[in-house]
Amino acid sequence: MFSLKLAFQSIVREKWMNLLSMLSIGVMLFILVAVAIIVYNVEKLTVRLPERLTVMVILKEGVTSEENKSVLAAIKADPAVKSIVFVSKEKALDDLKKSLKKDDFILKGFVENPLFDSFDVKIKSEGIRIDEVKRLIQKIKSMKAVEDVEYGELLMDSIYALKRGLRALGLSIGIIFVCSVTFICYTTVKILFYRHRDEIEVYKLLGATRWFVRAPFFLEGSIIGIFGGVLGSGMLMGFYHYFFRRLVTDIPMFAFISIPLQFLYLLPVCGMLLGLGGSVLALGRLKY
Amino acid sequence: MIELENVSKTFGGQVALSNVSLKVERGDMAFITGPSGAGKTTLFKLLYLADKPDTGTITIAGCNAADVKSSYIPLLRRNIGVVFQDFKLLNNKTVYDNIALTLRIRGFMEREIKERVHSVLKMVNLRHKVDNYPLTLSGGEQQRITIARSIVGEPTVMLADEPTGNLDEENEKEIMRIFKQINAKGTTILIATHNRMLYKNTARKVFTLETGQLKDEEEE
Ligand SMILES: Nc1ncnc2c1ncn2[C@@H]1O[C@H](COP(=O)(O)OP(=O)(O)OP(=O)(O)O)[C@@H](O)[C@H]1O
Ligand SMILES: [Mg+2]
Repeated sequence: MFSLKLAFQSIVREKWMNLLSMLSIGVMLFILVAVAIIVYNVEKLTVRLPERLTVMVILKEGVTSEENKSVLAAIKADPAVKSIVFVSKEKALDDLKKSLKKDDFILKGFVENPLFDSFDVKIKSEGIRIDEVKRLIQKIKSMKAVEDVEYGELLMDSIYALKRGLRALGLSIGIIFVCSVTFICYTTVKILFYRHRDEIEVYKLLGATRWFVRAPFFLEGSIIGIFGGVLGSGMLMGFYHYFFRRLVTDIPMFAFISIPLQFLYLLPVCGMLLGLGGSVLALGRLKY
Repeated sequence: MIELENVSKTFGGQVALSNVSLKVERGDMAFITGPSGAGKTTLFKLLYLADKPDTGTITIAGCNAADVKSSYIPLLRRNIGVVFQDFKLLNNKTVYDNIALTLRIRGFMEREIKERVHSVLKMVNLRHKVDNYPLTLSGGEQQRITIARSIVGEPTVMLADEPTGNLDEENEKEIMRIFKQINAKGTTILIATHNRMLYKNTARKVFTLETGQLKDEEEE
């Protein structure tokens, strides 16, 4: 209790330095959260990517209905497959005609149906990873009755590469900022400690334990971290209310972006842990 | 209670204590005297474990100073009340908080702290200065606050370094009366002083230090 009082007293006494530390921690945590939100949204979007993907399995010319059925059964049995629909070349032609509408004279030149029998395979929406999709495609390709498999390979690969890059970037920014926040707390507490050196000397001569001397600094580091986190949360709230909501009403396209407001509680907790970590580091190697 | 055996201490060639052996029994009140720079404060520092001797052994409150674990030092210090020559009051805390600190460190309840602080302030006649800050007090008042702080924890050993250096005769007598009173309750007291008046008529042990050496030991 007394330690808590000391910590608060010290925070009030050194208010400008502490305010500065809290502010920089707040800004850093806010940026950290912004990056986290970007990564989170990209993850969320791309998790459903395979769902939007239709894999077209093109069958070889003159495949018997027996073979046809066995291919269907084999694909359907795969855990990544949501549904499979057979599209005969006649239906494909109809569809094409429909989509061409008046321009269907293009097709008049063909004596025979130029299209082919195929399957439209849909991938399950949840929990299917890109390499699983690739494995499935490889499997289908290797079937005897299958001529070729078509899917948005290029698009998918580039999106996944982007996602990987973003993840790595997010992680490195995360690590850098976590370290910076810890470092700010570390320096703040260290400075406070050196300012109170004479006082601590007296405490020790009067019989204060190591813990009694250190506790106020640990508390102080944690409090600075908590307030930094609260400031970060405040910025997030401000951003959410004044910027993001307006953006969404003006440009509804951005409505898919979600900002998990759990961050509001999470930030002060993170701040506290980092502050505590920083102060433990700051005092760790001193002999008091 | 306090025992030194062949203790020496030098500060980079400057001899502060050389081969000092002395003994103060439990319940005694003893004096150390000697000219400025003789090593009195240094000897006290060794006793409350703020410094280590180069050679020799020190025993205080039943502990061999060399063997005390660093985690035990705070507990040992709580048994030793020290009146520092330079007071070591915290200038950003009130008189009350300065004295209360000794007890807060020990985890006393605020109610008991209040009682005890007021009672020691009464003993040193500074009850009316309870809310002052040390720098607004005279030298003698600061010294009496330091004394109050050293006795509030009811230590078993008291080390008083020039406790009456800034006091007028009236207050000096009062402080000596307090020391005798505490001593009568069983506290072992060691007082360093230049002032012969303090021990002149007191039939107590007096150690005389001169440039780090113990000159003589007399019962006056
Ligand atoms: N930390 C230190 N570094 C170097 N020399 C020191 C240190 N502490 C004490 N000394 C020296 O040790 C000698 C003894 O000093 P000490 O303070 O013990 O004297 P004292 O008897 O208390 O004097 P006074 O009566 O003036 O208080 C002095 O010569 C002093 O200069
Ligand atoms: Mg001295």
